[in-house]
Amino acid sequence: MSSRGGKQKKGNVTSEQEEEEQPLQAVLVADSFNRRFFPISKDQPRALLPLGNVAMIDYTLEFLTSTGVQETFVFCCWMSNKIKDHLLKSKWCRPTSPNVVHIITSDLYRSLGDVLRDVDAKNLVRNDFILVYGDVVSNIDVSQALQEHRHRRKVDKNISVMTMVFKESSPGHKTRCEEDDVIVAMDSKSKRVLHYQKTQGLKKLQFPMNIFQHGSDEFEIRHDLLDCHISICSPQVAELFTDNFDYQTRNDFVRGILVNEEILGNQIHLYVTQDGYGARVSNLQMYDSVSLDMVRRWVYPLTPEANFTDQQGQGCTHSRHNVYRGAEVSLGHGSQMEENVLIGRDTSIGANCHISNSVIGNNCTIGDNVVLDRAHMWNNVHVSSNVEIHQSVVCDGAVVKEAVRLNKQCVLAYNVVIGPNLSLPEGTVVSMHHPEEEEEDDDDEFLSDDQEVGHSKDKTRQKAFNPAEVGPEGKGYIWKASMNDTEDEELAQCLWGLVLNPDPESDSESEASEESQDRSRSVSPEIDDVNAFQLEVLGTLQRGLEENIVCDNLVLEINSLKYAYNITLKEVMQILTRVVLEYPFQQQGTQLTTLQYTGSLLPLLKTWSPVFKNYIKRAQDHLDCLSAVEELFLEQDTHQTAMVKVLMKMYQLEILEEEAILKWFSTGATNDKSRQLRKNQGVRLGQICVWGKPSQNVKGYQFGHCGSLILLLQKETTLLIFSDGVQRKQTPCSQCHKKESCGMV
Amino acid sequence: LQMELQAVLMAAGGGSRMMDLTYNTPKPLLPVGNKPLIWYPLNLLERVGFEEVIVITTKEVQKMISTDPKVKLDVKMKLDLVCIQEDADMGTADALRHIQQKVKTDVLVVSCDLITDAALHEVVDLFRAHNATLSMLMSKAHEFTETVPGQKGKKKTGEQRDFVGVDGTGKRLLFMANEADLDEGVVIRKSIMRKHPRMHIKTGLVDAHLYCLKKSVVDFLADNKSISSIRGELVPYLVRKQFSKSTNSPKVIDETHQNLKKNDKIQISSRDEELLHLTQERSCWNDHRGDMSDAYHGGRLRCYVHIMDEGICYRVNTLAAYIEANRLAPKLFDEPAVHPSAVVSERCLIGADSIIGASCQISDKTSIKRSTIGVSTTVREKVKVTNSIIMHGVTIEEGCNIQGSVICSNAVIGRGADIKYCLVGSHSTAREHNSKIAPEKRLTECHRAEVNITYHYKSITYNNCHKVSK
Repeated sequence: MSSRGGKQKKGNVTSEQEEEEQPLQAVLVADSFNRRFFPISKDQPRALLPLGNVAMIDYTLEFLTSTGVQETFVFCCWMSNKIKDHLLKSKWCRPTSPNVVHIITSDLYRSLGDVLRDVDAKNLVRNDFILVYGDVVSNIDVSQALQEHRHRRKVDKNISVMTMVFKESSPGHKTRCEEDDVIVAMDSKSKRVLHYQKTQGLKKLQFPMNIFQHGSDEFEIRHDLLDCHISICSPQVAELFTDNFDYQTRNDFVRGILVNEEILGNQIHLYVTQDGYGARVSNLQMYDSVSLDMVRRWVYPLTPEANFTDQQGQGCTHSRHNVYRGAEVSLGHGSQMEENVLIGRDTSIGANCHISNSVIGNNCTIGDNVVLDRAHMWNNVHVSSNVEIHQSVVCDGAVVKEAVRLNKQCVLAYNVVIGPNLSLPEGTVVSMHHPEEEEEDDDDEFLSDDQEVGHSKDKTRQKAFNPAEVGPEGKGYIWKASMNDTEDEELAQCLWGLVLNPDPESDSESEASEESQDRSRSVSPEIDDVNAFQLEVLGTLQRGLEENIVCDNLVLEINSLKYAYNITLKEVMQILTRVVLEYPFQQQGTQLTTLQYTGSLLPLLKTWSPVFKNYIKRAQDHLDCLSAVEELFLEQDTHQTAMVKVLMKMYQLEILEEEAILKWFSTGATNDKSRQLRKNQGVRLGQICVWGKPSQNVKGYQFGHCGSLILLLQKETTLLIFSDGVQRKQTPCSQCHKKESCGMV
Repeated sequence: LQMELQAVLMAAGGGSRMMDLTYNTPKPLLPVGNKPLIWYPLNLLERVGFEEVIVITTKEVQKMISTDPKVKLDVKMKLDLVCIQEDADMGTADALRHIQQKVKTDVLVVSCDLITDAALHEVVDLFRAHNATLSMLMSKAHEFTETVPGQKGKKKTGEQRDFVGVDGTGKRLLFMANEADLDEGVVIRKSIMRKHPRMHIKTGLVDAHLYCLKKSVVDFLADNKSISSIRGELVPYLVRKQFSKSTNSPKVIDETHQNLKKNDKIQISSRDEELLHLTQERSCWNDHRGDMSDAYHGGRLRCYVHIMDEGICYRVNTLAAYIEANRLAPKLFDEPAVHPSAVVSERCLIGADSIIGASCQISDKTSIKRSTIGVSTTVREKVKVTNSIIMHGVTIEEGCNIQGSVICSNAVIGRGADIKYCLVGSHSTAREHNSKIAPEKRLTECHRAEVNITYHYKSITYNNCHKVSK
């Protein structure tokens, strides 16, 4: 029946497009490129997992066929052999199939981007095509969207590259995937997407002004959209993926197109359906929702009794309250099938069972007094008596022994045995694969084939099962969410995905608190930036020493850091000085003696002098550097004696000029402490001057009563450097001749 | 018997955006279709059955309304004129605070420059149906088609746009901001989007400055003296506060509610309040779909807007709007185009889209098309008036040709003048030649220098964008 429907629509489409005689094509990506279904997907690729006792990829193919697709490219990577086998056996590969399915497998696909780049490389698509994942369940008639898409492309000369299909559903709808929650800003009239953002974890949604400047006066911001993960793409999409190697997902692509809209001139539009159904099974939460939606007939005409896969023995009867029974189902005395129950063929159910909102596969046996609520049982599952299962998934071949209770969101993977007399806590995942083995296999997760899985199974058998976890007769290992967070944070979230909690940040938040947050936020990052920059500089210098990096490269690196953290040149210098001077403390602890300190610091100064010279150029730079030095030694007051050596070295290395040192010395004593410092160092500073000015033939130096530095030059003249920085050559002043008051050496 | 709503008419604005017109005539008294501007909002209120209106205005306007014979308001409503000081620089919210003592119920605030044929009940019904704190009227912005004296070409729309966000039904007001304040882009909290998942952002709207406000808002204004303008401060504040519960201000409003209930049990609005609350609790009605939370998500402060899709809605606050309003005003009421007391020669041509005011004298061989001729205006022989607004007491000598211009009150146009797209200023003391445009002088775009006008006080002549001063 479905193929007939497909033909009809096809007829419509072809009559409307006179010139475009080419068949409609689709790209079906039968891989999720993530591990949200681990460990279930360790044994079976996600596209083949049964939903309503039919493999998910069959729904996707049926959807494509019924919208008039005549040629589908199925791209497989993980367990591609299994998918291939499945498809070859299915009705899609029969000669009568209206939809020609080509299977393309490669182990090298790592993302949607890779697939589309391959589409471009192999030049597979000639016209607009539909892009879907192998886990999309939908009954949306996209021909309307397709028509709009083609019309736009005809009118606007290929500006629109993609039309995304959304379904309208208000927030909180349980088929909305929290992880896929998006907010879209669009132009009301042209249906053009102006802004596209995932909202997960955001409190405030920000829309840049430039999106409102396209001449239109009506925009819509929509949060009532469920992403169906169905997109109508122009052939350019594949080319764009080739051009931009950083596009990995569709999200990357959409964001990229929207951001570069001005440059590339490409636009994305959206199509919103009100009555169709479309959802992607992206995690177990979604699996649960979609499976129930299916049983509740939301995906009509794709219903369990329709047997659209056209396989023998798959048929079932539909009776009221959405109860479906396959062939040869036996139901014990007193058992109730309340509502929304699908039972596969050859399944027997014992007496006094209570079943609601559940899907049970083929060849299952269920004992007496069993309570099933939102249970998803696949094929060949054995459930003993007195078992209770709530919102859980039980995979093929699993055995649940007497009096076991599965609380919410449990997963029993393939061939696991549980019980008897056990209650699994909420969110327990049991698999025959040992969680640690999975890490060992990490490298070749994408390259695996059946053989290898079998091999690893043998390996795990050797490890003992924990009876406390899986029961005395149990077989299987508990998977904990924390086990696989080595990959990354996102995957570590439980299989079930985010729980739909009704707006966690909701109403309790007050604007006042937000405002205060804003205020505090605006102050703190500045400090953080500077600190972070300091750490980075330290790291850079350290690495420079270890790896013997040329100073020029260090300068380059510091410069780039400067821009990254938005640091002024002055701050760079101060931080650099501070980092270098603290370096010995950093490396050898603060317990250094002054001698050790200078011993380790002075060679460093020599090494890094080019770095300093790069930053210290103007007179003001010198003073800034000096004030940083001063600041540091005011803090490290036990090492003040080292200061003069540092200054001397810097002077000798021509980092600092003499005039700057003198000027610094004579000015800027802002408080008692720094004045004290200057006084203590004054004598030694004099030495610098002596060393520094051989040309002027300094014979000696002394300090005036007024704090000025007096250099005794030849010919009985002196150079007076007053505290205001004025230098004056004159004969010794009468006051300063007094030895006692002037501290003449 | 208590009224449901008290009407408040704001008529104290100076008309700062059309100073050329309001220099001698205060804005509320500018003639539009030979009626003072203030007549239009008064008529609007009278039509829907108001019997009393509080008019907030200046001393000058009050004097003119009561003494000037030309200002015939012909309204049957009782006008309660409240004067505020002109130089006090009071905003609309200040004015509302000023009359707080007179406010006994919810108020309907109207601006004096509103000309509309809007069905007022739409706004009030929103206010009633949702027990709203604020409901207001907006309209799609109109493009002004007429050429405006003193403006070359079409005015560029360089003005800052208002961003108005409404929910899926187009009624609930969710967001309001001016482009100038949106440096960081439009920022909307996610919790708002969860409650109202579909938000329409509209930019091409004009605020009609017509608001229904709860009495508690007026009381709130009395407590918060920092708010001075309804449009600029109060409305954005209320819109914002819809979604924040824990802040003080709604509590303030709530508290005042409570106080009122305690103090004055006879208040109809307060008694309703309790009943309404009860109905809402017991009712299965809900304003939204999707989640199962209470109607309005438990929020107590609600703002609504009625957006007119069609019909006339002008705010006469610029010269362009003034001209447009004059063109459209005759369509708003059924009155003979030519006043019975006007003396119109039989041998002249008067288009159907023109209005001739009372005691006018129109002489032979005159042609008047798409124009408004004010009260006591004399038009002599062989004069051609097209697309123009002639105010009261103007004398147009023989052979003049006036096109697309505005001639203010008591001006005298000399013989044979040719005036195109000009604004001729008004004057009231010099009786003989107020703004006299000398005979045989053409006032067109290229003859700017030859204009010979006797200026008294401030008479302004624009010659297609050029201000002529001598």
